[in-house]
Amino acid sequence: MADPIRVLIVDDEERFRDTLGKLLGRHGFTVRTAGGGNEALALLADAPCDVIVLDVKMPGLSGQEALPLLRAACPEAEVLVLTGHASVDIASAMITGGAADYLLKPCPTDELEGAIRAVYDRRQATKPR
Amino acid sequence: MSARNSMNPAILPEDHSPPLWPHTLLAPLMAGAAVLSALAAPPLVGVVLALFAGAVCIGSALVLARRVRRGERKLHDLDLRLLQSQKLAAIGELSSGIAHEINNPLAIITQEIDLARELFGPNGCPGEGDLADIRDSLDQVGKQVARCRQITHKLLNFARKMEPVIQEESLERVIEDMALLVEREALGRGVAIVRDYDHSLPQVRTDVPLLRQVILNLLTNALQATPQGGSITLGTGRRDGQAIIEVRDTGCGIPPQNMAKIFDPFFTTKEPGKGTGLGLSVSHGIVARLGGSLTAQSTPGQGATFTVALPL
Repeated sequence: MADPIRVLIVDDEERFRDTLGKLLGRHGFTVRTAGGGNEALALLADAPCDVIVLDVKMPGLSGQEALPLLRAACPEAEVLVLTGHASVDIASAMITGGAADYLLKPCPTDELEGAIRAVYDRRQATKPR
Repeated sequence: MSARNSMNPAILPEDHSPPLWPHTLLAPLMAGAAVLSALAAPPLVGVVLALFAGAVCIGSALVLARRVRRGERKLHDLDLRLLQSQKLAAIGELSSGIAHEINNPLAIITQEIDLARELFGPNGCPGEGDLADIRDSLDQVGKQVARCRQITHKLLNFARKMEPVIQEESLERVIEDMALLVEREALGRGVAIVRDYDHSLPQVRTDVPLLRQVILNLLTNALQATPQGGSITLGTGRRDGQAIIEVRDTGCGIPPQNMAKIFDPFFTTKEPGKGTGLGLSVSHGIVARLGGSLTAQSTPGQGATFTVALPL
């Protein structure tokens, strides 16, 4: 069996990241959660991950500010933006900044899972061997 | 209005204006000629020239007056358009804020429902441990619905056309009513409420319930910002012919980079779910409706002062 996909959920809503983490964990992902950009960077310093699910509006380091730092800290990870902020400007800025996809909250868990697997598979397919 | 004008709204479009030469060149020339002819030619010629110069001057004055009026009308139209676009920008900003504030609790609700469905299992018989988790999920759904309700209800207040009902009242009394409401909680937190009222201040003509709402909001903000051992000072006074209410706290203050945003709808530095970011923007709107102004001063680390100025 393939290694589980390692997901890092970065969101300031504690209940959201905990429940989403629990669900993804039940579905075979290895999940870690962080309440903000700085905590995520600290977690990535410990161990890398495959997909980062990143919120945009967070106190302290925002998703937009954290994106280049997270990508630098873990170049092999794909970043999936998941936010309640429906702004075309932010979405395009995040995609230009290297995010692989942009999803809007509320997002059903199966859709989010599909998106995580899709960006992970894409990365696996294009990874230099 | 021509298609060209509607595309490029100039305040004084030169190409559509009558020429300037009749009053800038012709009228002075005629007047000069009238003076010269009065000296050299028979008086009738001078009189005719002077009358002609006068007619040109009157015509020019009428043209100029029309031009100024047209300019003013255009300016007024532009003002209206600017106001409308500002309103639209505010609505746009507000709706993106609402979307964000509502989408977050909706996201939690979505995940909790997904989890509860999964815990129920295909045959609808969850285990004892799973039942507790399902109950917890349902509680969480209830909490997030309450959070949405708080936002939408506050928005209703924000959007409601609040026609003030004006009555005479002493500011001190309005403030005291609200101070008594929060004093118990303040004492419980070890925060003192200090009074510094100007007793000579006359009664103010204002909408008392609306003003109460503003004071209560400023007081609760101050209380949340002030640590144990701190104090909140409530003051009244007179400045530049206006009645002044001050709510001063010894809390953490407002960082300079946040100062420009504190009256924006949905701007908050509180934890998610703890504040809607609507209190100060609603208060700002209320005070403006009452004909006054709400301002803030703060030195970070040394507390903040919110000042309501009302017409006397």
